[in-house]
Amino acid sequence: MVNLENQIFSSYQRNPVLFDEIFDQEGQVKEVYSKLFELYGGHSISEYVNLNEKAKSSFFNQGITFQVYDKKKTKEKIFPFDLFPRIIPPEEWEIIESGCIQRSKALNLFLWDVYHDKNIIKEGIVPMDLISSSANYLDQMVNLDPPGGIYNHISGTDVIKHSDGQYYVLEDNIRCPSGVSYVICNRTALKRALFGVFDHYKTYSVTNYAENLLDLLETVKPKGVDVPNVVVITPGMYNSAFYEHSYLAKTMGVELVEGRDLFVENDFVYMKTIKGPQKVDVIYRRIDDAFIDPLEFNPDSALGVPGLFAAYKKGNVTLANAPGTGVADDKAIYTYMPEIIKYYLNEEPILNNVKTYHCSRPKELRYVLNNIKNLVIKPVDEAGGYGISIGNRLSDKEIEVVKAEILLSPRKYVAQPIMSLSVHPTYIDETESFEQRHVDLRVFTVLGKDKEFVLKGGLTRVALKRGNLIVNSSQGGGSKDTWVLKT
Amino acid sequence: MSLEYSITYKAENTYEESVLEAYWQFLIIPEENDSQQFISIDFNNSLNAKTEFSINGYGFKTIRVHPKSEFKHIAFEANFKLIKKEINPFDFEPEADVLKSFQKLQELDFKVDHNTFLKTTDYTRLPEESKNLFIFDTTQSIFENLQSLNNFIHHYIKFNTEATDVFTKLNELLNIRQGVCQDFTHLFCAFARLNGIPARYVSGYLHQDNGYFGDAQMHAWAEAYVPFVGWIGFDVTNDILAGTSHIKIADGKDYKDCSALKGVVYSTGNNETVHSVVVSSQSQQ
Repeated sequence: MVNLENQIFSSYQRNPVLFDEIFDQEGQVKEVYSKLFELYGGHSISEYVNLNEKAKSSFFNQGITFQVYDKKKTKEKIFPFDLFPRIIPPEEWEIIESGCIQRSKALNLFLWDVYHDKNIIKEGIVPMDLISSSANYLDQMVNLDPPGGIYNHISGTDVIKHSDGQYYVLEDNIRCPSGVSYVICNRTALKRALFGVFDHYKTYSVTNYAENLLDLLETVKPKGVDVPNVVVITPGMYNSAFYEHSYLAKTMGVELVEGRDLFVENDFVYMKTIKGPQKVDVIYRRIDDAFIDPLEFNPDSALGVPGLFAAYKKGNVTLANAPGTGVADDKAIYTYMPEIIKYYLNEEPILNNVKTYHCSRPKELRYVLNNIKNLVIKPVDEAGGYGISIGNRLSDKEIEVVKAEILLSPRKYVAQPIMSLSVHPTYIDETESFEQRHVDLRVFTVLGKDKEFVLKGGLTRVALKRGNLIVNSSQGGGSKDTWVLKT
Repeated sequence: MSLEYSITYKAENTYEESVLEAYWQFLIIPEENDSQQFISIDFNNSLNAKTEFSINGYGFKTIRVHPKSEFKHIAFEANFKLIKKEINPFDFEPEADVLKSFQKLQELDFKVDHNTFLKTTDYTRLPEESKNLFIFDTTQSIFENLQSLNNFIHHYIKFNTEATDVFTKLNELLNIRQGVCQDFTHLFCAFARLNGIPARYVSGYLHQDNGYFGDAQMHAWAEAYVPFVGWIGFDVTNDILAGTSHIKIADGKDYKDCSALKGVVYSTGNNETVHSVVVSSQSQQ
């Protein structure tokens, strides 16, 4: 039974259609949350607000801000943070962790294949369009063997819990996924504000990310290197994720560099230091493919290092992630993930993929046209949420328009069931109360040579607008500390 | 019999304002292959800046120069000497079965293996209305079709060094119907790829003693992959097959993959670049 006298939850409204992370269908607090509920319940709303403010200032004090670009001025903002943590029970985490490792490994094998023998395409499992028309497929990577055989060293897997209580992957981000610094800083902020609550739960630490990242990056060092010199390269302080780049370099105990701090000589990479050039062996790069080397890719790039790609091609330096990984985090590739996992690992996917209907296949096209009200229609080649139609929000007239567009060029569209993200009580400033808000989870997986690591935690992103399903920081999203419990 | 070639490549860059930092990458070294045996490279620059030999993203040899002091003018000179074997470009087993050749083009494995050189790039994109300008004749072999294509483009486009520049795309070329080796080659690659035949852009030097078209710079031609035969070079500008007079440097999808000189130069104001190439030969027994 919900304890309505419980002060901070006194006006909490539970929509029974949505999957609530704290309350079950009967409105009972779930076992795993009961202690936390009791602890937070002891506070009044005004006390909670004070604590929340304290936590927020901890972000400013740590310098964890991002910039919001406006027409007139740039503002330093913090990523909105909510003091009420999300808990992931051990048995659920087990699925998430093994599922993310499975996906990362399969994607790595897939990348090796599409840049070498291309068997998965020759066998007709994944269409050739992938390599012939994807802008993210780099011909320069063909037959290049990345050190340790690893392409996607760092993956950010976006996972949601659907109304059926099961986890589904929405996206695999394997270019330069960001957000891991927030995971660690959220924990710090929560510990500063409410240290006592941690006494009641056995929660995995998240502060070991940097040491594990460094450890795994060292396993993919170039041949012949004994103790590798690792650096983090950033586009610079004006990049929105600059805080994270500097945080990771600092916590790994390695140098943070910009392109102009490095140079290439005789196909080896060096860092300029006051004591003279110092060889660099592994580069955790937070610069996009097109900008890493102006002599090989975008000639206008002032961010990269001239000659870097030649040094990489000769095997003298490791780039993490490898160039050309973008071909595998394409929306079109996502839809083939179950087949990709089976093909390379001979395993059933541990984490669900959202069922995808390809309008290019006549049978599936018929299903899409008949069930359009329950589906999300997505163009395969658009990024950033453009051109998406959500079936149950369309008028009859709009449905006819969408149907006509699909019939005109069925190859251009895929459709997926409308996923309902789970909700979590979240403190809302405007109403000064807890309300249900949709959440997702970004999980960080690091792949090394014969070794992998998943950060036991993750970034729970919260859609702060009521009913909004898009949990992106540029769309007004916030975040929560995420606890993975020990068994 | 073979020929000994001597090639002199010169480039001169002049800048209005001082250059603080610069990197250049030259893709000008002749490729070592069955018919090209390499003798010597001699490369100098007027600033005596350090020179490094490296490779580009496709594995072709490059020369990189990175001066460490300010300057307004720099000159580069490269001398290559190599032995070129006498080639008879027609010396191959012709396709025995025309039908089988065309079927091969349709096989998934073939398309996947040659994917890079079947792609349409910005330089090889044919305007929709021009796709029927040249139609393949399936009763003839692929080699014969490519020869016809070579001949067709040679007559369809007029050689004119003033009409186009390195940025010219096919829609513009087909409008003005004038251009240089680069344009002829792009058009050839476009029609070959449109018909499922892998085709690549080749940069190199042309020995012009025989009155061939080109200019006093680099030359470009195409190589097409004929099933059951292999890669064959077509010099579209001259309506011939690439032979002993053609010294290959590199190949790629289009000009962009093969440009002789790439540079990253930190300077303001105008600049000017002048190139020249001289190829001479003597017979060897």
